Amino acid sequence: MKLGRKLDYGWRLLGTAFSFACFGLGGVLLSVTLFPLIRLVSHDKDSTRRRIQRAMQHSFRVFLWQMTFLGVISYEVSGRERLAQRGRLIVANHPSLIDVVLLIALLPEVDCIVKQALWRNPFLRWPVAWADYIPNNSSAEEMVKSAAANLRAGRSLIVFPEGTRSVPGQPLQMQRGAARIALAAGVEILPVTILCEPSTLTKAEPWYHIPPRRAHWRLLVGKPLPAADYAPAGMPEALAARHLTEHFVNYFSDSTGATAQAGRGAGAAMASNCTMH
Amino acid sequence: MDSKEDIHNRLKAVLVELFEIEPAKITPEANLYQDLGIDSIDAIDLLLRLKELTGRKIQPETFKHVRTVADVTEAIHALQTSEAAAGSAAPPA
Repeated sequence: MKLGRKLDYGWRLLGTAFSFACFGLGGVLLSVTLFPLIRLVSHDKDSTRRRIQRAMQHSFRVFLWQMTFLGVISYEVSGRERLAQRGRLIVANHPSLIDVVLLIALLPEVDCIVKQALWRNPFLRWPVAWADYIPNNSSAEEMVKSAAANLRAGRSLIVFPEGTRSVPGQPLQMQRGAARIALAAGVEILPVTILCEPSTLTKAEPWYHIPPRRAHWRLLVGKPLPAADYAPAGMPEALAARHLTEHFVNYFSDSTGATAQAGRGAGAAMASNCTMH
Repeated sequence: MDSKEDIHNRLKAVLVELFEIEPAKITPEANLYQDLGIDSIDAIDLLLRLKELTGRKIQPETFKHVRTVADVTEAIHALQTSEAAAGSAAPPA
């Protein structure tokens, strides 16, 4: 038993190292092969974006399949059918490094907000630009404007209102940008709760800090919520954004058990009709 | 021209109306960003609302240096003073 555990741990550590290497090298490789090729054969900006976004989805799918196959991770999704509808703001909590990989892998064409470091990366800056992902270096006002315009045009967008990965054991802290985007666009919000057990790949941990057993992710796709529900006529948008953000904090605290309500197990109750991978 | 106290009170009313900030928290020393939880997009809304109320436009450039409630009061007061001065020195043609 003890030896078995050691072997399992060693295997997962190797698998994790291998996966990280593949992710980095694969990203560079695709950036100089498949992505430029797609760019070359696409006649306009919009078809480039669609194709690149789809290529991103398939690359991330392959990556997740590989990690699952190696036994490094496992994951399940409930309420997946709700992801089919376009033009929604997908709002998720952010426990781990691979959250965005999981979400992009599940969504055929989706925008996301990409941090500045990627726009300076000599390889990845081109694919993220072709995918028309939103840089977070422009002013907050411009970011909200362009994100809202894209949503109104029927494109979907992933936002993590926490802005960065959660601090385990701490109450959730959320910024109001996601609520601002939803209100400016007037679209539906689709909340996705991400649970990872045991916790791993958090902000505080290096990649080789792997958990004692294989980590399992559960993605719980909630019910869509019209942003307009939080914007009664005459209410200043700043105030509506505060109320909506408060709702996000309560919703995700409840569904992840992140605050005093821990142990109520909203997540466990919601995960009854999951599909395994 | 309004006294600084008048300006402070009107600013306070705006902060309560736009952001539901607890009135007791809105002291002249309160930091807009750290103490009152205003973010960069809120700041733009605040500027627009102040322009509607005072008829004077605080330049976003000026607002970048604003940190406290008193700084905003000062900025509005300075605008009113400079306009009053400009008005008496050289009446509009």
